[in-house]
Amino acid sequence: MTCSVDYGYAVSRLRAMENRLLEPGVFQRLLDSEDLSSAIRVLSETPYGKWILEQQSEEKFDKAIESELLYIYSETERFVPDPGLYFICRLPYDIHNIKVLLKGIFNQKEGGKRRMDLLTGLGNMPVDEMVMAIESEDYRLMPFGFHRTVPDCVSIWDQSHDILQVERVLDEALFSLQVKIAGEMPFEGVRLFVRSRIDAENIRNLARLKRMGFEAPQAASFFHNGGSVPVEKVLSLLNEPFEGWERFLSFADVSKTLSSVQEHTDLDSLIMDLERSIDDFLSGILAKFKYSAFAPENVLHFLWLKEIEAKNLRILLVGIGNGADRSVLRRLLRNV
Amino acid sequence: MDQLGIMLAVLGAALAAGFAGSGSAIGVGIAGESGAGIMTEDPGKFGLVLLLQALPGTQGIYGLLTAFFAILKVGLLGGDAVSVNVWQGLGVLFACLPIAIAGFYSGIAQGKTSAACIQMIAKRPEETGKAVILPAMVETYAVLALLMSIILLNSIQF
Repeated sequence: MTCSVDYGYAVSRLRAMENRLLEPGVFQRLLDSEDLSSAIRVLSETPYGKWILEQQSEEKFDKAIESELLYIYSETERFVPDPGLYFICRLPYDIHNIKVLLKGIFNQKEGGKRRMDLLTGLGNMPVDEMVMAIESEDYRLMPFGFHRTVPDCVSIWDQSHDILQVERVLDEALFSLQVKIAGEMPFEGVRLFVRSRIDAENIRNLARLKRMGFEAPQAASFFHNGGSVPVEKVLSLLNEPFEGWERFLSFADVSKTLSSVQEHTDLDSLIMDLERSIDDFLSGILAKFKYSAFAPENVLHFLWLKEIEAKNLRILLVGIGNGADRSVLRRLLRNV
Repeated sequence: MDQLGIMLAVLGAALAAGFAGSGSAIGVGIAGESGAGIMTEDPGKFGLVLLLQALPGTQGIYGLLTAFFAILKVGLLGGDAVSVNVWQGLGVLFACLPIAIAGFYSGIAQGKTSAACIQMIAKRPEETGKAVILPAMVETYAVLALLMSIILLNSIQF
């Protein structure tokens, strides 16, 4: 395991790479764009330009965003001493790919279609290898314990045909893995980030389940262990009005996500703002490490900022393409 | 006993050059790693990075200077042979300690500060002036230690 002074090169390089991040002015220009074509023209002037040139049509902007993220992850992998730092960031993509492949197989069994176009190359495991492993049911070489998780999911589907249950098992596997990887590294900030991410996911699920009218016994399996707030505590909030959630969670940092959304009168608008509030909260946790020149958490901070930037671009480009109200889009932007 | 006195003086000179030089080497190394990180992305910043990387190197020079003074004092670097008793040898050894200790620690500290400032100019090249001042503040204490070592060496009577 490396000690933090070894991050001098990595953090310096990331500081220089931060110059690739889009400035608020670019987001403003995107917001001011009349249509998708003019927004893509604005984006072409940024580091995303070279990826946009490779796309055959401007509707393929998502591939350009993915290419930029993939470039950043590939570059980071080369010089970050602890691979766990980018494993944590790329694991959600592995789980996404597994979900896409399993759902495709399950759909096909019921006469539906596969959606291979939804696979992403951003995961830790190469897409081709994952497709090969899952389609041939030869899970032995799958990393991160997927060789156990995937067969479990298949047998759950065979027994219950409950796709939600499969998703829950995969989400649980994701957070358990992130906790395990973070626990193996001697960086408190990374553990704090993972714990906070689980707390934030639980709060997000809480709001969604509340809106859908779930009762506590049904909802229990949607929450994940490993956060700072015990699952039982989160579950107990399901019977409380959301106006009181912040008070009940005031002992935990994650309550900050609720303080900015308290004025909402309905859960729909609360959930919309809660998503932004959660991302800003997680950005804030990592942002304090930017004052340390050698903190390994700066790697997570940079990768998180890049992920947020990609999310902002997707929100803007999809919204502009669909003619969404610009004030609504502005409200959805994270950390800008 | 004259031999022991000389050896103590030589030990002092060796500590001054060795520790201060080591501090500088570590400091320059830390700053160099940061500099390499920046230049991988932006090779145009070589001039600014080089300036900041060189700053922690001065402690090594101070240590070498003190070592020269010490061995010159006991006549090992030419001139007339000087008889050095144990107490005089110990005096030279102690006189060398300020720059040995302060040089070692300030070299490392300055390297870290330089590395942080190199990161600063990666994002804000217009702040180069401030980026040079911050590591230079650490230099102050190496200079003070050098002054004290020289004063102490000069105060020893042979």
